[in-house]
Amino acid sequence: MELTINWYIALSAILFSLGALGVLLRRNAIIVFMSIEMMLNAANLAFVAFARHLGDLDGQVLVFFVITVAAAEVAVGLALIVTIFRSKKSINIDEINLMKG
Amino acid sequence: MGIFSIAPLLLVFPLIGVLFNGLVGRRFVEYNRETGEKWSGWFGSVMALSALAVAVALLFALAGHEFHAEIVVLFDWIHVGDFYVPWAMQIDTLSVTMMLVVTGVGSLIHIYAIGYMHGDPNFSRFFTYLNLFLFFMLILVTGNNYLMLFVGWEGVGLCSFLLIGFWFDRVNAKGEAMNANAARKAFVANRVGDLAMILAMSLTFWTFKSLEFAPVFDSAVEMFESGHMVQFGAFEATLGGVLTAITALFLMGAAGKSAQIPLYVWLPDAMAGPTPVSALIHAATMVTSGIYLIVRSNVLFEIVRESGTLLPGIGISSPDLVALTGAATAVFAGLIAFTQFDIKKVLAYSTVSQLGFMIAAVGMGAYVAGMFHLITHAFFKALLFLSSGSVIHGMEHGHHHISHGHHDDHDHFDPQDMRTMGGLRHKMRTTYIVYMIGSLALAGIVPLAGFWSKDEILAHASKNPGPIFFTVYIMLTVAAFCTAFYMGRQLKMVFFGKPRHAAAEHAEESSPLMTRPLMILAALAVFGGLLNFPFFSEAAYEAAHEAHDYGINLALEHWLEHSIPSFELTEEGIVHMPHTPTWIQFDVAAISTVLAVLALLAAVFLVYRNRWQTADERDPLQSTPIWWMAVLPFDTLYMKGIIPLFNRLADFLGYTIDWDLWHNFFHERVIRDTFVGFSNFASDVLDRQGVDGLVNGAGQVARWLSGGLRLSQTGYARTYALGILLGTVALLAYFLWPAIF
Repeated sequence: MELTINWYIALSAILFSLGALGVLLRRNAIIVFMSIEMMLNAANLAFVAFARHLGDLDGQVLVFFVITVAAAEVAVGLALIVTIFRSKKSINIDEINLMKG
Repeated sequence: MGIFSIAPLLLVFPLIGVLFNGLVGRRFVEYNRETGEKWSGWFGSVMALSALAVAVALLFALAGHEFHAEIVVLFDWIHVGDFYVPWAMQIDTLSVTMMLVVTGVGSLIHIYAIGYMHGDPNFSRFFTYLNLFLFFMLILVTGNNYLMLFVGWEGVGLCSFLLIGFWFDRVNAKGEAMNANAARKAFVANRVGDLAMILAMSLTFWTFKSLEFAPVFDSAVEMFESGHMVQFGAFEATLGGVLTAITALFLMGAAGKSAQIPLYVWLPDAMAGPTPVSALIHAATMVTSGIYLIVRSNVLFEIVRESGTLLPGIGISSPDLVALTGAATAVFAGLIAFTQFDIKKVLAYSTVSQLGFMIAAVGMGAYVAGMFHLITHAFFKALLFLSSGSVIHGMEHGHHHISHGHHDDHDHFDPQDMRTMGGLRHKMRTTYIVYMIGSLALAGIVPLAGFWSKDEILAHASKNPGPIFFTVYIMLTVAAFCTAFYMGRQLKMVFFGKPRHAAAEHAEESSPLMTRPLMILAALAVFGGLLNFPFFSEAAYEAAHEAHDYGINLALEHWLEHSIPSFELTEEGIVHMPHTPTWIQFDVAAISTVLAVLALLAAVFLVYRNRWQTADERDPLQSTPIWWMAVLPFDTLYMKGIIPLFNRLADFLGYTIDWDLWHNFFHERVIRDTFVGFSNFASDVLDRQGVDGLVNGAGQVARWLSGGLRLSQTGYARTYALGILLGTVALLAYFLWPAIF
């Protein structure tokens, strides 16, 4: 059985879907964060797979940008989570609804 | 021009007097009563004398100018379109005559007033007014147009008001401010005449496009010769008709100022003023303005007479109406004078009566005779008034003398009531003599001034044909009889018999400052007749006419003929004619003199022979119908008839028309309510419901919409995440849809 691009894309889709479900369903902010990371990496996998399949480096270059942005995001996000925890003694995102209209 | 350029000084001198006494005179008097009064009084008197000097200079200037009128233009006054009125003085024989009377008699009265007003707290105010009066009177007689004449006319009216009300704070026993009321009465009565003057001037300008005397008279004569109609826009009128209206209005103006029927009522009340005022304004000068006006406008009156235009409804011409008004006033006022007990009121009615003589004279066309009587009357009536002032002064002095210690009857004593006098000929010798001269002159006893002037009027009335002249002659003769009678009564009451009051017993002669002007005036009253001394026969006149040498005879006539154009108007045009020669009419003179003497004798030796022993005695005439004159005359008519009607009309106009209809209905209901209604509509409907509704509605809609939309903002991160996901899916579906299918 040959490892075609379809396998990669399917894996990427599964990972993205799991990430999205995690974001939508989990309440622990850290888990939500990790789910976001999973969605980003699913996208990275798709980029790399397409880059190899097309013989083009553009996708791989873009992956580095995504990794960079993800790292920055984690830094900011974790800081936010720590701050919220300090004030609310909880990181349950269902309790954080200050933006309710 | 030359010497005539000094004419403005005539007005400048009295004005300086006004400024001096009005601005600083009071300081002088307050600083030092004795010398202050001298300064204030003599300054005013010297200004009057200076004006007299200017008038005399102008007299000689005219004589050296062949008596031609000279017009001195001071400046342009009004210049609007066609309407041009200069501020100019007309120096001609007529105006110079008036100037001499005004400043001559005026100067004497100024000097007299220094003595008479001695001790009055408002001494300098009095001289301010006197000088102001001279100023306006001189404007009146020197103006070269009707508008300037009117300025003077109003100005002397103002001064008359101020001077009648000079003691405006005096109240009588009932607490009425009689002096202030008299002043107001004079002012209001004169307004009626002034209205007529304004109408007459408007009509004059409309007809002749000018208000200056010479152009008006010239174009009047021209229009009469050419027989053109007068155009008033779409209307047309005959010259005679228009001039009848103008002259009738002039008569009404003259009736106001010169106290003729029916407007004479203010003059007797005007006696509330200080006696020098009565002498100057209400006997010698101001009240003669009406005569001056008619003499000045003689051309207009003569054209009316010649054109034969009659007044509608009456059937006589306007000059005839003037003559009859004057004659009726002469008789009427003469009869009222019978019933008066106030020494000055008798003289006041006498003045009204004598003004009636003058008005009758000018109405008959005897302009020179009217002016002659004006001048002689100024002499003897000023003399009589000033002498009566001297009598009043003496009586006050006597009363002051006796009331030391007991003041109980102080308020009830009237120093002007003739019933409290009597026997003053021993106490006040000089006053008695001059009063006698004045009375005889007024009564028309030969050879005093009044005889000559009154006789000229009577002669003119008797020697002209027609029922009007005859009526006027009869009335004036009766008036002359009345004059002598009431003067006889007054002499008897004041100077003869026994003193009827302690005040009369202690009366004393006035100061020389007062008696000396009286002597001068007495001399003028004796010799005034020489001004226009008639010839004694037609032959003498013819001889003088041949030789062109009239001597002293008819001096005034020849002097005045340079300003009173002597012409006769005929259908062919103007024919210049000499004045009707006046030689003495022995029949007329004899009748009037005999009547006057009889009246005097009847008064003194018949009617009042044994009368006036005590002050509360009844007048024998009090039980005769003549006494009705005391209550019947126009005063009562006005008070009972016209003034209630007028008040009712004023009430109607004031309360019904103005308040109820105009204010309450029109302003409140129509204008205010409409406005308030519209404002309410604009405020409630347009603004609150319209504009505010729109704005608030927009807010409501926004709030309603946002209320719905805010539900979508749950605040849960997962909601937004789901939104993003679904959005992404939707976008993908949208873009990929055509690629897949």
